[in-house]
Amino acid sequence: MSNTISLQEAAIYQEHDAPHVEHQHHETFITKYVFSQDHKMIAKQFLITGMIWAVIGGLFSVLFRLQLGYPESTFPWLEDLLGHWAKGGKIQPEFYYALVTMHGTILVFFVLTAGLSGTFANFLIPLQIGARDMASPLLNMLSYWFFFLASIIMFSSLFVQTGPASGGWTIYPPLSALGDASSGSKIGMDLWLTSMAMFIVSSLLGGLNYISTILNLRTKGMSMTRMPLTIWALFFTAVLGVLSFPVLLSGAILLLFDRNLGTSFFLSDIVVNGKILPNEGGSAILFQHLFWFLGHPEVYIILLPAMGMSSEIISVNSRKPIFGYMAMVGSLFAIAILAFLVWAHHMFVTGLNPFLGSFFVLLTLLIAVPSAIKVFNWLTTLWRANIRFTPAMLFAIGFVSFFISGGLTGIFLGNSALDIHLHDTYFVVAHFHIVMGVASFFGMFAGVYHWFPKMYGRYLNNTLAFIHFWVTIIGAYLIFWPMHYEGLAGMPRRYYDFSGWESFKMFAGLNQFISVISMIVFAAQIIFIFNFIYSIFKGRRVTTTNPWGANTLEWTTPIRPGHGNWVGEIPEVHRGAYDYGKDGREFIPQTEPVGENESHH
Amino acid sequence: MSTAAVQQGTKWWSGGKSPFNASYGKVMMWYFLMSDAFTFGAFLISYGTIRFSQNHWVDPNHVFNSFPFAGHANLPLAFVSLMTFILIASSVTMVLAVHEGHKMNKAGVEKYMLWTILGGICFLGCQAWEWTHLLTGQHEVLVNGQLEYWNTTVAHNPFGPEVMFNGKEVATPGPIAFGSYFFEITGFHGFHVFSGIIINIVMFIKTKMNHFGQRGHYEMIEKAGLYWHFVDLVWVFVFLCFYLI
Amino acid sequence: MSASISSPEITFHPEHEDTTKPIWRTFWILSFLTIIELSIGLIIYNIHKGENPNATLVLAFKGMVCILTLAKAYYIVAVFMHLGSEVRNLIMTIIVPLCLFIWFIAAFLWDGNSWKNLRNRYNRINEKTPTEQVAPAAKEKGAKD
Repeated sequence: MSNTISLQEAAIYQEHDAPHVEHQHHETFITKYVFSQDHKMIAKQFLITGMIWAVIGGLFSVLFRLQLGYPESTFPWLEDLLGHWAKGGKIQPEFYYALVTMHGTILVFFVLTAGLSGTFANFLIPLQIGARDMASPLLNMLSYWFFFLASIIMFSSLFVQTGPASGGWTIYPPLSALGDASSGSKIGMDLWLTSMAMFIVSSLLGGLNYISTILNLRTKGMSMTRMPLTIWALFFTAVLGVLSFPVLLSGAILLLFDRNLGTSFFLSDIVVNGKILPNEGGSAILFQHLFWFLGHPEVYIILLPAMGMSSEIISVNSRKPIFGYMAMVGSLFAIAILAFLVWAHHMFVTGLNPFLGSFFVLLTLLIAVPSAIKVFNWLTTLWRANIRFTPAMLFAIGFVSFFISGGLTGIFLGNSALDIHLHDTYFVVAHFHIVMGVASFFGMFAGVYHWFPKMYGRYLNNTLAFIHFWVTIIGAYLIFWPMHYEGLAGMPRRYYDFSGWESFKMFAGLNQFISVISMIVFAAQIIFIFNFIYSIFKGRRVTTTNPWGANTLEWTTPIRPGHGNWVGEIPEVHRGAYDYGKDGREFIPQTEPVGENESHH
Repeated sequence: MSTAAVQQGTKWWSGGKSPFNASYGKVMMWYFLMSDAFTFGAFLISYGTIRFSQNHWVDPNHVFNSFPFAGHANLPLAFVSLMTFILIASSVTMVLAVHEGHKMNKAGVEKYMLWTILGGICFLGCQAWEWTHLLTGQHEVLVNGQLEYWNTTVAHNPFGPEVMFNGKEVATPGPIAFGSYFFEITGFHGFHVFSGIIINIVMFIKTKMNHFGQRGHYEMIEKAGLYWHFVDLVWVFVFLCFYLI
Repeated sequence: MSASISSPEITFHPEHEDTTKPIWRTFWILSFLTIIELSIGLIIYNIHKGENPNATLVLAFKGMVCILTLAKAYYIVAVFMHLGSEVRNLIMTIIVPLCLFIWFIAAFLWDGNSWKNLRNRYNRINEKTPTEQVAPAAKEKGAKD
């Protein structure tokens, strides 16, 4: 009975798949490289666009670190570069805020959301679950082009006369709602909101595709519990995005109405330039609720793919099964659920009901449990392992390191009582840069170094990779560790110049130190980009289909897979993804049937 | 093979098939609707939040009490009930279209799709009338000790608490958020109805051209139906939040 | 069934009822629920018209309307959207994420209510003009910031 069904299914699949395989023969430049519907090409498009954005966002941070490190100095070349934004060689206060805002927006949304999960979800999901392509290649292509449109709009906002949005990446009203309140709240803010609306469409199209592909298109035998952790992480990332981004869309629409149509969703009792505004009855805290209902899941949208890829890479290069596969999946699930329940811990001191806040404290501290499970599982996977220190492995271990040191300070901040002191200080800046900024970047780098051979059929240069790794990990700690001390001393974030405060004068030298290191780390990223571009064309060629000795399905494809991924039939899966060091064998690919006398892990 | 036997012994999650016995398109549509539910949910919850933060709110029976061609008769809830019934009826014709699709009855699908489109257009027409009525209808309101005539817009409304003025009860300006949210949410819902009509027209044309007949199934009608019912579902909640409570 | 399987992901073709009876039954249920909702709406209208409207009674009626709305939503989703006849896996993956709305609604409305209380409290304090009343109010505001 069941045999007949599976035979029928196989027949249907072959029929269904045949056109895909034929497609690769007649492709033009446009359909192959520009409006490509191949998930691998779309992934590369996301990655390269993300890298361009990362350079822009990183450069912005270097510019404002210049101001923070050397508040008294002038740099005449800045005026040549930036015009009236840096009059007399000194970054203007409005421009400083614009830089900070754009740095946050670009890195959170354009690099670490689109560039990270856009790249790896597109690239890995079909390859690792055994599918020819995404469920809907057309929507997948549209997802990239909506992202591209959002990018264009955001980029154009950098060049308008009044400057881009400059109320912080959280764009809290009333500042962001009132064009008269600051130059950055004029057309730049409208462009920001429009760009984000496009971005949300892109992330929705992508997310729906990822979810339905993972659920529906797994190859035969690839049950949910046999999926690599990467896929689980990308799955939960997509679910988070699909359910939380629409809430930001609502907030953005309401804010657009407040800005342009005279509604009072977020405005009440406001005086601007001595003029009393007619708006009444709205609440600025409402926007914060809506924003952080997205904003908190967004943190995990950024972090989960990095967690998944690091788990995979650590297991492969430890030559050991991941410790506690089901616990890893369970903790990902727990994190995904808790992500929706804790948003108001960003708002403890903004006028939130303190009693309600205590519930949010409790829920927030619960996140420590699944996070700790993950950390211990990574550490026990590394424990007594036969580690291969490939660049990808180094970055994955670096990810774990940053996740621990950044996560621990989260426990401080999750307490509403401590948060009264720490809120909006450099302590917060240090916390989230380490745990979601640098950690996710390390996950992303680990992913790029690990899957570059699959993407381009060549290796990245190892020497440059090691330089990149050591400069980045040491530099990132040197940048962000001292910020904890500054924050504990009460130094507020987003300030333009600390030299006017007696109490922060002692940090002048430290700020200069941080600025210098941040330039060095930025330079190290240029090495990476050089390595990336150079290796696409001139890197060492991959000569074997499975260079890392990994179990997962992507390494059963040809070295440079065409559209459709597998020549002939899609392989069937017979085991989980983590059979490393089993029965005297270094690794057993997922496609190998379970032997009769095989032991259980 | 009998379907029942397959149903019982199936290992849904083992790969090679959909764990939902549904095509990816349908799964995608469901999750899109989930996502959209969060958009509408966020709007309605914001509305509720602002309403909870006010001491006084507008009584819907005073605002929505007129009917086309009925003059100044006081008919609370009558018109919106008509709108609700139109939308429910168009939902029924949509289900019937899907039903005909299962039976591969092209003429039946066409007939019911037309009825559905007609219902949608009627609903939008009603909404247009209601908006016009609110935006043009003048009401007496006491502003800074003087009587003025106000319409209802996103920026103000004349349905505030009543006070005694010159021996008669007069309304004062009501909460601004009422008009803001009313126009914003019904507008967003109306936009969904509009796009639903467009989708249904496309589906009607595709049915007419026998695209689905050639394909061998009418699943696209089913997906369009899901969207249409979702629009109806949202209206059920809009009806609750703005007109009933 | 004459319809063929629409996609290779589908294991078996779901049975569809040949009659339109359940559809029409649902239509009548929905209409009936709507009529009850309307009559409750009119009852609330009449309570409001009378002297000293009973707040608890109004709240109880409003609660009833909310429950009726959920019942309507159930029928639309289960019958019209056909979710009731889908595979259990699909039902669960739709219903479970919707539970997020519970905390979403509770936290938002709670905070909204809290803003009202805060506003009323500060307005009361500000209305009392004597200077010794103003000082603590200013202090409290400072503490909040």
